[in-house]
Amino acid sequence: MNLLSLLIFTPVLFGIIILILPSSMRASYKYLTLAATLVQLVISIAIYLHFKTGPGFAGINHEDQFQLVQKLPWINLDLGSAGKLQIDYFVGIDGISVTILVMSALVMVVAAISSWEISSNLKGFFALFLLLDMAVMGVFCALDFFLFYTFYELMLLPLYFLIGMWGGARREYAAIKFFLYTLFGSVFMLLVMVGLYLSVTDPATGNHTFNIIQMMNPKNYAAGSVFSTLSHTTILGMPARMVGFVVLFIAFAIKVPVVPLHTWLPDAHVEAPTPVSIILAGVLLKIGGYGIIRICMGIFPDAALSSAFWLGLLGVISILYGAFNALAQRDLKRLIAYSSVSHMGFVLLGIASATAEGISGAMMQMVSHGFLSAMLFFLVGVVYGRVHDRDIYHFRGLASLMPRYTVYVMIAFFASLGLPGFSAFVAEAFSLAGAFKSSSANGLLPQWMAVCGAVGILLGAAYLLWTLQRMFFGTTSLKGGEIWKIALIDIGLRETLALLPLALMALALGLMPSLVFGKVNDAVLALVSFLQVK
Amino acid sequence: MVRKNKKLKTNLIKALSHTDAQTVSFAIWAVALPFVAFAVNLLLLFRSRIAALVSTAAILASLILAVKVFFAVWNAPVIHAQTVWFTVGTAKVPLGILLNNLSALMLLLVPVIALPVHIYSIAYMKDDNGYSRYFRYLSLFCFSMLGLVVVDNLVLLYAFWELVGFSSYLLIGFWFTRQSAVLANKKAFIMNRIGDIGLLTAIVILFTQYGTFDISALFGADGLVPLSTMAAGMWAGPHSAMPEVWQYVAFGGIFLAVAAKSAQFPLHTWLPDAMEGPTSVSALIHAATMVAAGVFLLGRVYPLFNATELTILAVVGCFTAFMAATIALTQNDLKRILAYSTISQLGFMVLAMGVGAYASSLFHLVTHAFFKCLLFLVAGIVIHQMKHIKEDNNLDIDPQNILHMGGLRKKLPLTFIITLIGALALIGLPLTSGYLSKDGILIQAFVWAESKGAVFSIIPYVALLTSWLTAFYVARLVVKVFFGDFRLQKVNPHIHIHIGDGNWLYKAPLLLLAACSLFPLFSKSPVFYEDAWIYKSFLPSNFLARENIYHTIVPVLVNILAVVVIYAAFAIYGRRNSWSFPQRGLLYRLSYNEWYIDRFYNPVVVKAVLLFSRLLYAFDRKVVDGLVDSLAGAGIALSKITDWFDRYIVDGFLHLVTSVVQTIGNFARRFQSGKVQYYLYSMLLVVAVVFIFKLIWT
Repeated sequence: MNLLSLLIFTPVLFGIIILILPSSMRASYKYLTLAATLVQLVISIAIYLHFKTGPGFAGINHEDQFQLVQKLPWINLDLGSAGKLQIDYFVGIDGISVTILVMSALVMVVAAISSWEISSNLKGFFALFLLLDMAVMGVFCALDFFLFYTFYELMLLPLYFLIGMWGGARREYAAIKFFLYTLFGSVFMLLVMVGLYLSVTDPATGNHTFNIIQMMNPKNYAAGSVFSTLSHTTILGMPARMVGFVVLFIAFAIKVPVVPLHTWLPDAHVEAPTPVSIILAGVLLKIGGYGIIRICMGIFPDAALSSAFWLGLLGVISILYGAFNALAQRDLKRLIAYSSVSHMGFVLLGIASATAEGISGAMMQMVSHGFLSAMLFFLVGVVYGRVHDRDIYHFRGLASLMPRYTVYVMIAFFASLGLPGFSAFVAEAFSLAGAFKSSSANGLLPQWMAVCGAVGILLGAAYLLWTLQRMFFGTTSLKGGEIWKIALIDIGLRETLALLPLALMALALGLMPSLVFGKVNDAVLALVSFLQVK
Repeated sequence: MVRKNKKLKTNLIKALSHTDAQTVSFAIWAVALPFVAFAVNLLLLFRSRIAALVSTAAILASLILAVKVFFAVWNAPVIHAQTVWFTVGTAKVPLGILLNNLSALMLLLVPVIALPVHIYSIAYMKDDNGYSRYFRYLSLFCFSMLGLVVVDNLVLLYAFWELVGFSSYLLIGFWFTRQSAVLANKKAFIMNRIGDIGLLTAIVILFTQYGTFDISALFGADGLVPLSTMAAGMWAGPHSAMPEVWQYVAFGGIFLAVAAKSAQFPLHTWLPDAMEGPTSVSALIHAATMVAAGVFLLGRVYPLFNATELTILAVVGCFTAFMAATIALTQNDLKRILAYSTISQLGFMVLAMGVGAYASSLFHLVTHAFFKCLLFLVAGIVIHQMKHIKEDNNLDIDPQNILHMGGLRKKLPLTFIITLIGALALIGLPLTSGYLSKDGILIQAFVWAESKGAVFSIIPYVALLTSWLTAFYVARLVVKVFFGDFRLQKVNPHIHIHIGDGNWLYKAPLLLLAACSLFPLFSKSPVFYEDAWIYKSFLPSNFLARENIYHTIVPVLVNILAVVVIYAAFAIYGRRNSWSFPQRGLLYRLSYNEWYIDRFYNPVVVKAVLLFSRLLYAFDRKVVDGLVDSLAGAGIALSKITDWFDRYIVDGFLHLVTSVVQTIGNFARRFQSGKVQYYLYSMLLVVAVVFIFKLIWT
């Protein structure tokens, strides 16, 4: 059995068990879900440890360099004169995916632990949770565009219900906003996908194919087909390949999210229950960054390079815009949501630089932000779960009341604001180094972008420290008075078990960045040279 | 971290000779031991009072190791050992240590200062609830500071640079329930962050230009930076070139970093507020070691600067020194006066770097560390005693306000004598270490100005003026605290006072530091700074012999006038019912309000940023999100229109057709009523109509 398939479909197995079990056993659902995520974590660690590195395992545009590949014919239809419809179940990983897989698996465990707070309609919640889990893992492994798209769309359904049914007061609004926003991107992605399918033929079989890796090779495009590099087809006056790139980019930019396509995020986060927030910020946003690297830059490298300036600009705008907005928030969860926008801006900036430093930094930032945002949303959930309020001004001096909780908050905050020793520092420093280097290495981004991006680091310190000062320090004074004081007990064992691994991972990656860089480096170098060849 | 160090050690040592390898491992342990103490205190001794002993033992061991390292490295060839930390793309980020005169000196200085502060703290903090937390933080700070001075590359330098800022944040906000403390630590961290992003930008620029983070490869004697040229608008290194402006941006970044950490104008305002931390912390971090990190950084990257940039450093340093000294004249908070005096002295060090007096700058860094730490520890004792008086008598006073003090020399005799030594060193009178280092700076500033031209001579004169201002505010401080009558007793004659110098935990550190504030530690000769061993070892190639008239005039002038100034201060503040300065006037207010700089930062800069952020959030909600919502609204409106169209036009047409058919049907139905008369009528009508048509037609 292929480890990747096992990783992807383990949650489904547990999900079916949950669906079969009668409601009288609903207390066991959460343990089953936790077990599913733990199994996944073990599998993903095994994958990580067995992942081979070296120039021969770089991946990117070489199908034979991917690892744990499984390729099975899935949908094969003979369409007569139109050829054969060839869709494969094709999964495999390279350096770009492997670290994100481990990160996602760990975040899923934490999300499962934080699902203890869910009290209504447990069967539905956990079944959808596990369905989402499967779809997420599938997205990071799929190498067939049709399969990728299937998993990608499959994420939407459970998320819609998870936010819309278990969310806060304005959950319906947030759920439909999220759903339509994402759908808007993916519908057009479907068109490009079909266009690519019709343009690309598998050299081995002569059929059209959805194989993403074959889409990266310009030789596989039929002459005169719409996305061929040689044909100069235009759509609405723009070169077709540029249109294809932009459409795919918008789809993934909504996920990242890139300003100005970000407004679903604060609403979705504020309304979503804590476990869903954790998955949203920890894993789903990474699909955006992953998609930009794997799909946008992989399939349309020419268009990616010629629009790198705009990508970088959007990255810088996201960094600063997100940070300023975070500064203006008084809802703690919304503040963290905007800080996510800011931090994910570094990912885009790093990718846009098309330098090894920048892309490595972006990868690191994705992994790091996965851990840290999961931690931050979990921490918000702790306070919200106890008093159902998270207005910053309604709390003061929590440090005296909840000392252990405050320690974790400080770790998460300082790690997020880029304190050396934690992962975000390395990630942001190298994203910026790449962005700065770009102008002398490949001339894509002007130097001022890196300098402006650095200001985001300063603002990060401002909003996080201000929050610390307002909520946690000073003499204790709470809006809810004595009732809150009784309700606000310090974190317990279950919560510590969720937070400690995240904190340790952030620390480990900060002290030993090679845990990530070692695995991604070959793929990044291959990607950089792949981009340069075009 | 410990494991990391061990791994590092095994990898590093292969390339080195046996003795060098030993030195390197000593240095690594000197850095690592405080971290071990931190970890032990965190994991095992969370609430235990043994934490203090662990931390103190660690710093003592660090000191012993640092001494060994110092004697192995001082004036010996540079020892550099490194291994690869991680690889990004093709760039290797090293993990290593660089031991030269500068790092060996700093590696020694930090534990020499930290050890007395640890001992002092055992007594000073003994009644505090956060006793073990305090030592935890203190060990973390020592680790960061020691790491900062020995690392061999810019990434690690930045890492430790921020870690010292972080541990300073923790210690300033040590009493985190106190609002002023948490405001101060936030301010300190954010202002330091401004410097941090400057440093980061500079590092990124250097990395792009030279492709390495290695300090010795960059700034070494035959390093990449000295080989670079600036010509025709381009800044050209051995491998690549970029527009000249980026060299200035790199300098600007370094300058911001220095200004933030070493409290230079315009980023100095966090330091006076940082006095909210425990006084022992102020002594170690905010007077002796961390704030000197900026000057240390200048020393590390010195070859980067060109003549213009050095001049900027000189001007800023000189201005900072002067401004801070004028503010110190009128402050009444004991620690705040010392804080401004620290800023002023740091200004002297930056000035010295700017005028090329590299050796004197580092010399002053060392001497200042001793006497300023000493003065803060003394201030701690005074404040502690005032607090006792306050608590014993239930008074509502600020124990740090010097206006309440006076005449304490009789009650705290040892403290008084020690203070005198520290004060004289700060003023820079002969026989003290301060004299040696400060006069060196002044003399070289004069020499520098002479070579630069008339306009620049303003700088040494302002520096000269500043040193007299220093003499005045120091004398004022000493007089107000130790001479005259105890003013609190004058106002409240019945208060109980039983205070004293304290036990040996207080006295021993003071005596040690006082001994280090005198000349013998630094030079055989009490008069000539050129004889000081630290100075000689840092001498740049352009050594100035005593050929110059300034070498005689300046010290004489400085000291004679300083004595006059001190006497004047005594005359003004020492006598009862004496004349005092008018507490009005523009200059007084300017000084008392600290040049209104914070009054500008708070409402203007901070508020502007917050306002901007709120505006942007409104934009986000109203415009960006408004656009999304209005798109949704447009969708709904469109669907309503199509609904209407569907209902009234499409469906309406169908209804129209059916109703037409129905009407016609109903109409025609009447013809089929089955009544013969109707049939006849209609036949007649049709015939008539046909007939009439036919008539008309023809």
